[in-house]
Amino acid sequence: MMTPLLAADSNAALVTFMIYTLAVFGIAALSNQLMKSKSFMSEYFLGSRGLGVWAFALTFAATSSSGGSFTGFPAKIYTHGWVLALWIGSYMVVPICTMGFIGKRLNQVARISGAITIPDVLRDRFNSKRFGLLAVILIVFFMSFNLVAQFKAGATILKVLLSDVKIFTDFSASVSTWLEGSTFFGTDGQYLVCLLFFGVAVIAYTTYGGFHAVVWTDVMQGIVMILGVLILLPLAISAVGGLSFATQEMSTMTPPMRGYAEVASTKPLTEAVVLDNDDWLMSSTRNPTRVFRVARPATIQPGDEINFVEVLEITSPSEVKRILAGEDDSVTMKGEIDLNFREDLVAVTFSNPGDSRGSITVHPGPMTGDYEFKSGEYVVAKDSKGTLRNFRVVEAAGPFQVPRNVDLRVAEGNDFDSAVMTWNKDNPLTLVSASMSPVSYQYGHGEQGHYVTGPGPSPRDSLGFLPLSVAISFFFMWAISGAGQPSNMVRLMAFNNSRTLQRAIFTVAIYYTCIYLPLVVIFCCARVLVPGMEAEPDRIMPEMAVYLTDSIGAGWLGGLLIAAPFAAVMSTVDSFLLMISSAVVRDIYQRNIKPDASEGSIKKMSYLCTLIVGTAAMVVAINPPNFLQDIIVYVGSGLAACFLAPVVFLLYWPRATESGCIIGMLSGFAAHFAMYTAGIFTNGSFFRPYRLFDFDPIIVGLGVSFLITFLATRATTPPSEEIVRKYFYRKVQG
Amino acid sequence: MSPPADAAPASSGGEQFELDPVFLNSRREAIAIFLLWFLCLLWAVPVCYAMGYGQEVVPRQVPTVMGMPSWIFWGLLLPWLAADGATIWLCFRYIKNDPLGEVAGEEPVDSKTASADGEGSK
Repeated sequence: MMTPLLAADSNAALVTFMIYTLAVFGIAALSNQLMKSKSFMSEYFLGSRGLGVWAFALTFAATSSSGGSFTGFPAKIYTHGWVLALWIGSYMVVPICTMGFIGKRLNQVARISGAITIPDVLRDRFNSKRFGLLAVILIVFFMSFNLVAQFKAGATILKVLLSDVKIFTDFSASVSTWLEGSTFFGTDGQYLVCLLFFGVAVIAYTTYGGFHAVVWTDVMQGIVMILGVLILLPLAISAVGGLSFATQEMSTMTPPMRGYAEVASTKPLTEAVVLDNDDWLMSSTRNPTRVFRVARPATIQPGDEINFVEVLEITSPSEVKRILAGEDDSVTMKGEIDLNFREDLVAVTFSNPGDSRGSITVHPGPMTGDYEFKSGEYVVAKDSKGTLRNFRVVEAAGPFQVPRNVDLRVAEGNDFDSAVMTWNKDNPLTLVSASMSPVSYQYGHGEQGHYVTGPGPSPRDSLGFLPLSVAISFFFMWAISGAGQPSNMVRLMAFNNSRTLQRAIFTVAIYYTCIYLPLVVIFCCARVLVPGMEAEPDRIMPEMAVYLTDSIGAGWLGGLLIAAPFAAVMSTVDSFLLMISSAVVRDIYQRNIKPDASEGSIKKMSYLCTLIVGTAAMVVAINPPNFLQDIIVYVGSGLAACFLAPVVFLLYWPRATESGCIIGMLSGFAAHFAMYTAGIFTNGSFFRPYRLFDFDPIIVGLGVSFLITFLATRATTPPSEEIVRKYFYRKVQG
Repeated sequence: MSPPADAAPASSGGEQFELDPVFLNSRREAIAIFLLWFLCLLWAVPVCYAMGYGQEVVPRQVPTVMGMPSWIFWGLLLPWLAADGATIWLCFRYIKNDPLGEVAGEEPVDSKTASADGEGSK
């Protein structure tokens, strides 16, 4: 079911969701009351180190299970299949590694120094201001990236929830109209409204309630998340007709193709027609019928002759059959597929999968007089090798009075041979440069079986989604790098005693077992139940939640289930927000600018800072970057490359020195950043990093960081006896 | 990473010092945890690679266990459950219930909470 999905039950879902949101605000108010009786700084940023088992376990689990776990991760399962179980496999040891590896010792060291934040720990352990400041800069740098991505995730989830609520759609349409012509705000009014609501809610309760609000909402959100997954699991398996069926069905699937369809109206248009992501097209002029899903919204204006629409072609015969028939004839599925086919439009041609859209720069040659490029016009240009290539103009350009190079938005294709070329044969255009994006799957194209085996199909990587080297890398990524996340570390400073740590590790281990493997199962079922989501895979979790609950007539449950990913995003955003503001207020303002600041001014500063950081992230998220999961991976691995080695050495090696740890931290950052930057040149994108020996940058970053920290420490003067005695020795009693 | 002699002041001003047992226990536990991670890596990745990578797939005839591809069961589900068992053992048998001490320059942590869990202050 692709359309806005809550139709009849939208109000029930909305009410459930609103109750949840109100509960979050109630918790913030209680937390604020609690702060009045305690030291503001310690309470606001660290909860007075008094977290018990459930609070500690669930805040840890909920913060780690970010928006990525409920948006990016399901999207990846949907896109690549069963191999995601191996991708996430190291979560089997994540709780013991991330909490047990440094937890007890970090908590003790933080108590010895009185540290409230991670930069505090680094600074106090070596009596080094510059180390603390360096940590602040790195935390703010990485967390800001992640904060923007999480804001996008929150707004996207909310948009799906509200997509059929009339008051919301009407208001969003007004916002879209109001903002028409503004390049900054874009054209998606629904996204903007959701971003504003999500942003204001999370900023408000975090600012007002501080750490305890974050922790208590994490507890509630953690419970909602696991309930959501445990409810979705049987619903998904039942709807698909059994897990075995889903697996066998996946074995027949081939990856979809992405390209451009030329769409025409079956009758003259009197007003603009909007093609949305939920719309489907079919081309019945060929046998068998081809089915396409709109991949990017497009508007067809009256009088337009040529309309290029970016589409996704479903290539698995079984999927096409199910889409056209409503259900597969070999099994009874409980959920109905209700697709919104556009009958007023028809896909006339579809560019071959090798085709692409991009821009070219053309030199007009010896043309004289006015000239222009009309939309739909064919141009033939000679590239640098002298080869003639066919392009069709996508966006009109000109008229130009003086001959000059022109950047044209074009599509290149093979279906154009039979078209009438309107180019000027006497003055062929010369192609100066061309920038084209590949659109077909690099691995697994046209082949069955990849969704049930490794390394999994991949649109971008010719080695597949998870080759062996990357599988090993991700075992480092989650378990080892998870131990190096400052947002996790700060929670390790907040539990009240060792017994709490032991019980919390056990609790989180069970919690993750109940979350991650079921998620893989649920979204493998989603591949069968909800076809064509590759165009916007980040929406699969809410789509699936609503699909399953709608099929059993329980819209209110849909609201609760969508609250699960929403809760995950909220619990991550609030933690990151607090991390950044604590870094600024505690580590910069209080410890470097105004050490004698009164509690009142620190309080105001903390509120203000949380507010400003959150608002800034929300503004940037108006035009968010794509690749939510890629940003999360970059930030997670980058923080680990910077922080893990110095923290491990300063906790467990008395010989560790300030200079050694700083050099190690910077080396980890540089090595990791270099891999990503090299990706721009080798793979064309920052988020497709260069992989040394095919390993993920996390391996390089961690390896360099540990090695350099060790060598630099050896090369520098040992620390003072006083420091070593303070952190590694105790007086002999009696 | 044992403490070097030049950084191990056993006595100062007539007072005797010994290595902090919380530090020693934590380090020992960290090593055990690292070994567990490594064992899981050695189980999951090779098994998944051997059974699930580069296999010829006959559509609708994928070998499954409990509905999932068999390589997922043997390479992921089973070690996952084993890792949970090992985690429980580490938590309740191996990791010591060490006292973590008071906080420098701050009022003591809620004593009721601490004592309820059977931990006295240092």
